[in-house]
Amino acid sequence: MSSGIPPWRVTASATATATHYPTHATPAFIPVQARRSFAQNAQVSTPAAPVSNPAPSQPSDSQPRKKVDWPLPVRMYVQRCFASENQISGVSREEMETKLKAVITEAADADRLSEVDWDHLPLPQVMIQNERIKSLTNPAVSAWGGASIMASPSNKRKSIEASLPRETDTSPPWRQTNHRNAFEDRVTYPKADKRQKIDMKNLSKSKTNLEMRKKRFEDPRAGYGSSPASSRGDSPAADAHRGPIVGRCQNLEKNYFRLTSAPNPDTVRPLAVLEKTLDLLKKKWRKDNNYGYICDQFKSLRQDLTVQHIRNEFTVSVYEIHARIALEKGDLGEYNQCQTQLRALYRQQLGGHPTEFKAYRILYFIHTRNWTAMNDALADLTAADKRDPAVKHALDVRSALALGNYHRFFQLYLDTPNMGAYLMDMFVDRERLSALAAICKAYKPDVKIRFITEELGFESDEQAARFILDHTSADLLQEQGGLVKLLTGKAGQLFEVARAEAHRVVDIKGQI
Amino acid sequence: MAASIYEDFKQGHSLGSGDRLAASLTPIAPAEYPDRLRAFYHSGSGDVPDLHRTLFRNHKLKLPKQEQAAWVDIYTAYWKAAGELVKLDDGTEGASWSKVFDAWKATANALIRGYSTSSLQAWTLPCLYVIGKYLRLFAMRADAEQPSQESIGFNDDLQDDVVADFEKSAKLEEAARIMNRMFTLCLSDRAPIEDSRKWGIYSTTNLLFKTYFKLNSVGLSKNLLRALNASSADTPELEAFPKSHIVPFEYYVGVIHFLDEKYAEAEQHLTYAWKMCHRDAFKNKELILTYLVPCHIVTTHTLPSKGLLAPFPRLEKLFRPLCDCIRKGDLVGFDAAMSAGEEEFVKRRIYLPLERGRDIALRNLFRRVFIAGGFDESKNGQPPIRRTRVPVAEFGAAMRIGTHADTKSRIDMDEIECLLSNLIYKGLMKGYISRERSMVVLSKGGTAFPGTGV
Repeated sequence: MSSGIPPWRVTASATATATHYPTHATPAFIPVQARRSFAQNAQVSTPAAPVSNPAPSQPSDSQPRKKVDWPLPVRMYVQRCFASENQISGVSREEMETKLKAVITEAADADRLSEVDWDHLPLPQVMIQNERIKSLTNPAVSAWGGASIMASPSNKRKSIEASLPRETDTSPPWRQTNHRNAFEDRVTYPKADKRQKIDMKNLSKSKTNLEMRKKRFEDPRAGYGSSPASSRGDSPAADAHRGPIVGRCQNLEKNYFRLTSAPNPDTVRPLAVLEKTLDLLKKKWRKDNNYGYICDQFKSLRQDLTVQHIRNEFTVSVYEIHARIALEKGDLGEYNQCQTQLRALYRQQLGGHPTEFKAYRILYFIHTRNWTAMNDALADLTAADKRDPAVKHALDVRSALALGNYHRFFQLYLDTPNMGAYLMDMFVDRERLSALAAICKAYKPDVKIRFITEELGFESDEQAARFILDHTSADLLQEQGGLVKLLTGKAGQLFEVARAEAHRVVDIKGQI
Repeated sequence: MAASIYEDFKQGHSLGSGDRLAASLTPIAPAEYPDRLRAFYHSGSGDVPDLHRTLFRNHKLKLPKQEQAAWVDIYTAYWKAAGELVKLDDGTEGASWSKVFDAWKATANALIRGYSTSSLQAWTLPCLYVIGKYLRLFAMRADAEQPSQESIGFNDDLQDDVVADFEKSAKLEEAARIMNRMFTLCLSDRAPIEDSRKWGIYSTTNLLFKTYFKLNSVGLSKNLLRALNASSADTPELEAFPKSHIVPFEYYVGVIHFLDEKYAEAEQHLTYAWKMCHRDAFKNKELILTYLVPCHIVTTHTLPSKGLLAPFPRLEKLFRPLCDCIRKGDLVGFDAAMSAGEEEFVKRRIYLPLERGRDIALRNLFRRVFIAGGFDESKNGQPPIRRTRVPVAEFGAAMRIGTHADTKSRIDMDEIECLLSNLIYKGLMKGYISRERSMVVLSKGGTAFPGTGV
């Protein structure tokens, strides 16, 4: 848990990094480090300068000889250089030693051995890293000053390949970063993290802990409080500033794929093409009636509209047509997605058929029994909406059901405008069971099947009888003098059970 | 005598008073000391050692090092937030609620860090409440100042659909996520109960409920209830919590059930809240009654008395016209009252249950048919018995009156039967319909209309 680090420690390690510089570099952090290294430019470049100087004196490779003329702070400094917890992955021992030699030689030559603040001087490996970071962010510098540094490890690239794959690339790292788009960054981000962790296994424990702690705090700090959503949203947000893309694809048809990276203009169709696509799809739907194909095509159509930020009357009609087709095929998940979008689109007055879909919306919430959403749907209606026949019909349906007025409900069912009947079909059986439960409780001793047929909107006595038999048993229907009757007294409990079963909460995929 | 922020901080610690401590983090100056926040801002420089000195050394306050650091963190962030508030107050260019919110958010995060690292003790929880409270308020102000509500933003490009619907309350959603962490912080504390943050669960839950209601995502509240339920084993009894925590909690739980049309459960919770509510908390009582009255109408078919609503003129105005029509069995009046109040009812989310009052109005109308039917001739000197066999046509005639139908319009007898069957089904009438004879046979012995005396 990221919040598990005590804040004062966080502050402590933050101040520590300010002097020692961050010791790890993942692509996403580079800009931050850049700014720091600019601020410290002067300090960094001073020790960097003598790199080219050949080292005249010869301190030993592994341990400096304990000569009397090396003051204690210098010896301590050298010891720290070789201490395992101070090693930095990516800076080899040779590089570090070369640098160390240069630093000490420079000080000795200038007779400043006693003046340099050895206790606080950055370690050579840290200097090397800072120079690299600086050169990463400032190509001009790397062209001359950084060249030797960048070149020096070239003979051993292979050995560090695993830990530093970026440096093994032939193109300069800053270019890579720039060429990468934000989405790739987002994808590679966790990988970079993993690499970091593997490296840490090579480090001593205390160093690892320090690194881990720093990492832990750095991540949440960046997007503190906004938790996953905003840290996830960082890169797309940056991307959004670039504005919408404009497609160049001329194909009318396109399969739907969920985007996992920034859209490629070559595979996105511009508005003029999309308009032709819609015509084609309408024709194909009439001709072939192949829902799988149509749904897929409409989803790619919607996606192309979205990535190009096209939001106009055409957009509305695309969503409306897709919604109607989904309704016809009973694909409520897809229908609901369209409906949610349409609700927002209508608010912007882009045309289309708002009342038709507001009516569907009410019917849809009757079906899903989502009363909270129903209340919102009611709140959305204007006085003018309520005068619209379709909206009025949907409201009457809702009210009839709320009051258990099945008589009125089934009259409305038989006279539904637009495509509302597709939605009502989905809950009409459920409401028939409710009505039968009430009828069986209220009517004694029996009712004619014809009465059921008429009251509950069945097409024939036969259909009504079959429906009753599906939920009860055969002995509840009796024939007397050529008329079939339902023995209400006995059937009540059975319908009550069936009703409760049917009224369990409807769970629809894609529902808000 | 209002104290300075530092004074409250010091006193809070030396008295061990969470409320006093929280007072120092309250970003609204008390009336007696209107410049309190300004004074705090101008007294400091945002410099950490400085603040540390002011908070601890100057006051000779001895706290563990960790805790000191946590408080310095919190007050550093708080000082910056105070700065934003002062700038806003001064009308400084560039100042905004949005900046206030961001600074406040940082304060909240510092506080949360303090708790999650266990450097702050549970008695300081009132600080969490205060910070949470203003986090919500500042978020709403920040959302309100967003320039154009008209332009709905686009989803990021990875989305398939055109419109992102959430941007108009982005800050409040952000605040909700932080509050959720506050809630988890309290719920997941495993310290012994005397010194546990568990005492904060209801307060933080209430804050989240409030926010979710505002965000129109009541559904999220159920996750909280589930989480609370899952850890109920090691949570103290509800009664052990301060009333100021449990009254709002019960109220919200009641309303959540209410919105799900679970009126029986809703009534139980709302009644609890009603009984525990402080008698002078007028606003709260009014809120509770707004939902309890419709609940009661649905579950018990009874109307609120004049005496109950008398102290609440707004509720009286809201419910009385409907209640009068229900009592008289005036269906036309009822429908008119419903549509007259529709906007307000929908806004308060009580339209759907109130609509069910129509059943009671209908019951009252039909009851009058029964009473008008008089008595059958008494036999053998027995007390007279009401006529319990009533032709459906008589109920049809009553409907004609109840709906103010003119003489020419046809009354649909099948619909009358349907309404009768519903009343019987719902237990508002007792008896049965004989379709063969077009006759309603009501039960004898004063139970034809249960609970109404006939």
